[in-house]
Amino acid sequence: MRRGLVLVALLVCGLAAFLALGLGFGDLVPRPGGLKLAGEFLGAAWRPALDYQADFVPQNAPAFLSVALAALRKTLLFAAAAMSLSLLIGTPLGLLGSALVPARVRLPVRVLIALMRSVHELLWAVVLLAALGMSSLTAVIAIAIPFSGTLAKVFSELLDEAPTTAYRALRGTGATPLQAFLGGLLPVAAPDMGAYAFYRFECAVRSSAVLGFFGFPTIGYYLKRSFENLHYREVWTWLYMIVLLVLVLEWWSAHLRRRFVA
Amino acid sequence: MAHSFAAAAVLRGIDLRIGAGELLAVVGPSGAGKTTLLRILSGALFPARGRALVDGQCLADLLQGSREQRRQLRAHRSRLGFVHQDHALVPNLRVVQNVVAGRFGQRGLWRALRSLVRPDQGDSEEVLRVLERVGIGAKMFHRTDTLSGGQQQRVAIARALFQHPTALLADEPVASVDPARARALVQLLVAVAAEIGLTLVVSLHDLGLAREFFPRLVGLREGGVIFDGCGADLAQSEVDALYLLDGHDQGQA
Repeated sequence: MRRGLVLVALLVCGLAAFLALGLGFGDLVPRPGGLKLAGEFLGAAWRPALDYQADFVPQNAPAFLSVALAALRKTLLFAAAAMSLSLLIGTPLGLLGSALVPARVRLPVRVLIALMRSVHELLWAVVLLAALGMSSLTAVIAIAIPFSGTLAKVFSELLDEAPTTAYRALRGTGATPLQAFLGGLLPVAAPDMGAYAFYRFECAVRSSAVLGFFGFPTIGYYLKRSFENLHYREVWTWLYMIVLLVLVLEWWSAHLRRRFVA
Repeated sequence: MAHSFAAAAVLRGIDLRIGAGELLAVVGPSGAGKTTLLRILSGALFPARGRALVDGQCLADLLQGSREQRRQLRAHRSRLGFVHQDHALVPNLRVVQNVVAGRFGQRGLWRALRSLVRPDQGDSEEVLRVLERVGIGAKMFHRTDTLSGGQQQRVAIARALFQHPTALLADEPVASVDPARARALVQLLVAVAAEIGLTLVVSLHDLGLAREFFPRLVGLREGGVIFDGCGADLAQSEVDALYLLDGHDQGQA
C-alpha cells in the first residue's frame, strides 16, 4: 500500500516536470535540412574514416590513423593520471569519512567530499582553465577533484556496510581500532573498493575524452573538430575508439576481478 | 600465569568462580544468557550491576581507570582467546593472515601491518605449528573462504592459540557444524586446553557433548544458574528443568 503510494507520487512528480517544462513533440521542429544531415550522420556509421575526409590535407600532416592512436594514448594518459591522483586523495578521505571515525572528524570530511563531487568535472574545467590556464595538469585536476569525492563517498559507504565481525573479534584481542581496521575491515571491503575504482577509471576515460572539447589533446578535441567540419565518417571513427577503449577496459577489469576476487 | 575468573551478580544473581586451568561448559537453551556471560568474562561487555573479576581485578574499573589501567585491560584481552560462533574471520584473506592477526593486540601498528602483508620466518613457523595442532596445516596459504565451516572454526581456534592465551573462551563454537564434526571440534578444544593448561570456558547447546568432555558443567536458564557441578552428578530432573519449555519463553530466541 505504502509502496504503491510512493510509486504514484513519483509518477505525478515526473508528469509535473514535463508540464512545467511545457514539453511536447510539437516542439521538435527539424531545422531546414536537419533531417538530411542526421541521415548523413547515421549513414556514415557504417563507414568510419581511416583517412582524412577533408579535400585538402597539408603535405606534412601526419597520417590520420597515427593521429588517432596519439589521441587514444593521450585520452588514456589523462584518465590514468587523474585516476591515480583521485585514489591518492579519495582513499584517505573515504577512510576518514567512514562511521568508524569520530564525528568531529567524519562530519567535516563528509562536507568536503560533498563539495568536491557536487560540481561536475566539466564545470571544474571551466573554473580551472580560467584560473590555471591551458595545461595538461589543469585537465587532470579538473577530473581528479570530483572523482576523489565520489571515490571517497563510495569507499566510506562500502566500509560502513562491510561485516564487522572480524573487526570486533580483533578489537576483542586487544588490537587498537586502527589495527583492527587494517586487519579485519579494510580487507573485507577491499575487493569491492577495487572493483569500484576500476569502474571509475572507465568513467575517467570518458571524461578525459570529453575534456578535449576544451582543447586538451584527447579524443574529444578531434571529435569536435571533425563534427564542426561535417566530417561525419571521422566522427564515427572517434566514437568507435571511445567504445573500443571502454570495452577493452571492461574486459580487463573482469579479468582482474576473476583473478583477485573470485 | 593463568586466568581465574570470578563473576558475581551477573545476569540474574550469578555467582561463579572459575579456577585457573579449569575446563568448563556452559549449557542451556537459546536466550539463557550464555553469550552474555562469555562476553562479560572476555571483557567485551560489562555487567550493569555486580562485578566481573579476572585475576582479582575488576575489568570495568580498568576501562574507567587511568591510561595505565586501560593498557592493562588491552593486555588482558590480548591474552584471552575468543572463538566466535560465526568464526569472525576475514573470508578473502589467506588462513595465515587471519591467524597472524591474533597477535595484533600485542604488537605495535607497524609490526602488526608487516606481519599481515608478509609474515616473518618466526611468525610463519609458529602459524604452521598452531595450524598443524588444529589439524589444518596444509591449508596455511589457502583463501579462508575456500575452507569448510568446520575448518574455518579451526582457523579461528588457531588464531586464538596464536595469541599465546592463558584462557580460551568459545561461544557456541560448533553451532554451525554437523554433529560428527562438532564432536571432533569440542574434543580438540578440550585436548588443546588441557595440554597447555588453559582455562577453557565453552558454551554449548548440546548437553551430551558437554557431559562427555567437561569435568564441570554450568546450566543457565533465563539468566540464572540452574546447576553447577560435575556432569555425571546431574539428575534427570535438573536436565528437564534446563530445557523445559514453559509458556512465556516459547518463541524467544
